[in-house]
Amino acid sequence: MSTPGFLEVGISLILVVIAVVIARYWRIPVEKDMALGSVRAFVQLVAVGYALEVIFDLQSPWLILLALAVMIIVGAHAAAGRVKDVKRPFVITVTAMTVGSLVTIAVMILTRIISFEARYVIPLAGMIIGNSMNASALTASRLTTDLKDNRLAIESALALGKGWRVASKKYIRNSATAGMMSMLNFMKTVGIVALPGAMTGMILAGAEPLDAVLFQIVVAYMLLSAVTITSVMAVELTIRRFFTRCHQLQHDV
Amino acid sequence: MATPVLEVHNLGRAVTQDGRVKSIVDDISYNFFPDKIYTIIGPSGSGKSSLLRLLNRLDEPTSGEVVFHGKDHCDYPPCELRQKIGYLFQTPYLFEGTVRDNLLYATKNLSDESIKLLLEQAQLKPEQLDRPTDNFSGGEKQRVAIARLLATCPEVVLLDEPTSALDPSYTEAIEKLIVDIVAKGKLTAIVVTHSPEQALRIGKEALLMVDGKLVETGEINQVINEPQSELGKLYKQRQLK
Ligand SMILES: Nc1ncnc2c1ncn2[C@@H]1O[C@H](COP(=O)(O)OP(=O)(O)OP(=O)(O)O)[C@@H](O)[C@H]1O
Ligand SMILES: [Mg+2]
Repeated sequence: MSTPGFLEVGISLILVVIAVVIARYWRIPVEKDMALGSVRAFVQLVAVGYALEVIFDLQSPWLILLALAVMIIVGAHAAAGRVKDVKRPFVITVTAMTVGSLVTIAVMILTRIISFEARYVIPLAGMIIGNSMNASALTASRLTTDLKDNRLAIESALALGKGWRVASKKYIRNSATAGMMSMLNFMKTVGIVALPGAMTGMILAGAEPLDAVLFQIVVAYMLLSAVTITSVMAVELTIRRFFTRCHQLQHDV
Repeated sequence: MATPVLEVHNLGRAVTQDGRVKSIVDDISYNFFPDKIYTIIGPSGSGKSSLLRLLNRLDEPTSGEVVFHGKDHCDYPPCELRQKIGYLFQTPYLFEGTVRDNLLYATKNLSDESIKLLLEQAQLKPEQLDRPTDNFSGGEKQRVAIARLLATCPEVVLLDEPTSALDPSYTEAIEKLIVDIVAKGKLTAIVVTHSPEQALRIGKEALLMVDGKLVETGEINQVINEPQSELGKLYKQRQLK
């Protein structure tokens, strides 16, 4: 078997039709979203495919960095949209994601696990940034809701002379955990319940299963690092908006 | 004459709400002397809680200053200051765990002796010490909060409507408790209440706040019954209705 071409993609539209028909039959009002989503996915992915071909051919490190910057900015913007009740959430998500992603990628390159080539860096960065996007959004939004909902508990601790870090310890922990949770769950069931995407892709493309598995393990560790750094950064950046230097919980943040 | 323990000079806090600046504490000056009970009365929304929050430095004033033992508020580390000027919230919030956990949260390394004393002061039974506080009654919870407040050895306690969240049957006991604590311990209590009757029962000195301003001060009976200011007279009329 070879990988599908445009003809096969066209034929696979049958699957979209099946989904639309089912949705319509059940009167779930999503047909429009489905049709639009399918077209969008096609256009975006084909565009990315061509862009990657160009980037791979040019082999310019600047182009790699530009691609990373674009991915992080777009991801951080999407993450910021999910964080309510804080002013300028983009600053939080973009900083947390940049640190989390770049540190992880840098470690991979410096330890020579991967070489600084577009073919490796960009797909891995895509996975890293996607995961740290979710981590930053989950962490920051959980923390903001927890701090707003538990004002009395936090101020009761502050009023007894506790510092802000002690007063909000529980909420700091819970929100950082919330950001890392999906990654931790993933590591528990990986290989047993589901075969992860990177590995599946390599096997489909003809790699030996064991090679694919080793690669997937590295990917899992890499994502763990990225998600952890991003979550902790997101906590630190978010919580500083809430407290003044005099350990006061702010009203507007 | 004794030196005041807490001085408030032209204290103000303005907040922006819906784009408009609103003065919730407006140019308040007053001296609090040690070992006394002060009551702050005034209609709902007059800024009583906001004033207490400024004294505990939970909020930052936008003008004026607070002086504690002759030294500006801001010259103390905020956490130390808050242990010396304790604040009891309108609704008591207890941390997870037992009474002991709550006391130790306020001050680590409390000796058994001091724990016993705190329980006594708050009129809690010794057997309640290691019980989880979840199913305590409102009155018991408030006692635990009071014991916890005293655990940091405050010199001034700010009590924000200490009985308003409680069943009326507990009111008298908590009022008595406050009077006892001040009489025995060396501390100053500033008690906010919306009820002039309560103020008469527990205090000698009263402050009347209306619209963020301090409109009457002095002996409690006089503040309530013979107000000098226009706003004070208006407040008296409303209370009589
Ligand atoms: N952070 C804030 N932002 C905007 N307005 C505030 C803020 N804090 C307090 N206020 C307003 O300031 C006014 C005074 O509030 P405060 O809670 O001090 O009154 P109070 O005298 O304690 O009333 P009550 O007897 O009902 O407890 C109220 O109108 C309140 O809505
Ligand atoms: Mg109040």
